[in-house]
Amino acid sequence: MTIPLAHYLIFSGILFSIGLAGVLIRKNILVVFMCLEMMLSAANISLVAFSRAQGTDGIPVYDAQVLSLFIVAIAAAEVSIGLALIVAMFRATRSVDSTSLNTLKD
Amino acid sequence: MMQDISTYCSATYTWGQFAPAFILVGLAAALIMADTFIKTLPKRAYSLIAAIGALLVACYVYDGEHANAFGVLACLGTGLSILLAYDYTKICCASIAGGTGDEGTGEFYALPLVACAGILCLTQARDLIMVFVSLEVVTLTSYVLAGYFRRNQGSVEAGIKYLVLGAMSTGIIVFGAAWYFGMSGTFLLDASVTIDTLRGGSVGCGTVALGFLMSVALLFVGAFFKVGAAPMHIWIPDVYQGAPTPTTTFLAVASKTAGFALLCALVSPFRPLAVPGIPVADMLITAFAIVAAATLLIGNLGALFQSNAKRLLGYSSIGQAGFILVFFVYLGGRFETFSAMYMLAYTLATAAAFFAVAMVRTQRGSEEISAFRGLGQTNPRTAFLITVSFASLAGVPLTFGFIVKMYSFIALVAAMQSWSCLIWLLPVMIVCATAGFYYYFKIIRAMYWEKPQADDKPLCVPFCTGLVLTLCAITLIIMGTWPLIRAMQ
Repeated sequence: MTIPLAHYLIFSGILFSIGLAGVLIRKNILVVFMCLEMMLSAANISLVAFSRAQGTDGIPVYDAQVLSLFIVAIAAAEVSIGLALIVAMFRATRSVDSTSLNTLKD
Repeated sequence: MMQDISTYCSATYTWGQFAPAFILVGLAAALIMADTFIKTLPKRAYSLIAAIGALLVACYVYDGEHANAFGVLACLGTGLSILLAYDYTKICCASIAGGTGDEGTGEFYALPLVACAGILCLTQARDLIMVFVSLEVVTLTSYVLAGYFRRNQGSVEAGIKYLVLGAMSTGIIVFGAAWYFGMSGTFLLDASVTIDTLRGGSVGCGTVALGFLMSVALLFVGAFFKVGAAPMHIWIPDVYQGAPTPTTTFLAVASKTAGFALLCALVSPFRPLAVPGIPVADMLITAFAIVAAATLLIGNLGALFQSNAKRLLGYSSIGQAGFILVFFVYLGGRFETFSAMYMLAYTLATAAAFFAVAMVRTQRGSEEISAFRGLGQTNPRTAFLITVSFASLAGVPLTFGFIVKMYSFIALVAAMQSWSCLIWLLPVMIVCATAGFYYYFKIIRAMYWEKPQADDKPLCVPFCTGLVLTLCAITLIIMGTWPLIRAMQ
């Protein structure tokens, strides 16, 4: 028995929505970061599922899997930059809360 | 699901297309190596080498086989922003090394080259994998550059805000790319793929077209983030104000060029559909018109009450993006050419404006508009050059800014011949163009109407600033008067 494509897509859609909601709602920058990674993982799941579904005779279309590899690599780079910035922010404000980012505003 | 994917095949690229990008990356790598191993060379020299390198690559892209207006603009913008860093060294050293030493400032001059290489790849991209990777090269570098002054709370805050919102838009783009692939079976950005998929793909099912439209909408959101179109503009004022001025210049000119190159790549496949009566075209044009109107209003009305010059230029960049988006409302027109031309006028004027802000910041210690006080008396010639660049941003006749803004209005009128319901956009554009006169002239008023304070010394204009201000002002005036001279002959 194979799991139909729709299940993967619904799962990845839910994961993406949770990630997006987390980015918008959560105050702790570290949690916001995890939510950002979740959005990228959701996209990866869709990509791999679509790559299987588009394939013929059990051979997937590898284009999508190539993109998901690129996404993993770039997510890693993004996290390293993000954590460096969070460390700098903690040194400056002694907090990792997004409410402490309040020097720039109208 | 789809059987005919092999007919699309993948996008093919040649090495020659990416030669300028390789040159830039090579130069950046050489500079970073030199930064590590050659201790005797002052770091300031790197900025000159990098700036000259970027400007030479601009000439190479302009002359080359794969000439591309956006590529030239990106190199020009990068070169100018690194040149600005050269005159800004004093502040860079103070904010990075915490004193007068230049330890650790080398990468600040080399990294924009890497980002510029990303933009050059983006201008050549014809499939979404290339788009994604080159876009991330630009944004990841920009995060580092925005937060580079780590001893400055504003810079760190700008870096984090940019990173969180930028990574969110990245997530939205890749989710859109996944669905684009799922619905069309390829990553290729091409009119035939778009038309086939909108017909329901090989299965001929309406849901496929719907999913495809959703994926395209998600991709557009990512492009709107990059150009700073409403409602994805929230990061612009904060990041522009907090980031180091050379980085702000880079974001304002080069990164925005990347956004419009991306938008052109995404919109071009829809051009054959730009016929009245096709529902997709109506939908797309309505969406672009609403986004353009919202961007114009938020950018121009938000700028009215700003007192910080960098923040004002941030709102101004949102407002100018609104005028460029109007070219995309005229979906059947040559939006690539006209948006590149508008970007040229915008790049020259904005770069000159940031050079002026940096000069005032270095010598008067403030980025407020009031710090421009009395420049008309203390430095009459420089004040005139600054006036030209702000007048061009506002769209005063006889400057390049007027010509390109006029083309924006012409594009709307041309679009109205097929979609007459777009007429509501015209009063919005007129109001916003008028608002521009008010807020750009705030700086001009500060220079000429306010008296210099007793202890205000005349500014000493650094060589690069003087050169760039002069060249930009001359170009803006020549490009603004030349069409009139041609018309009179």
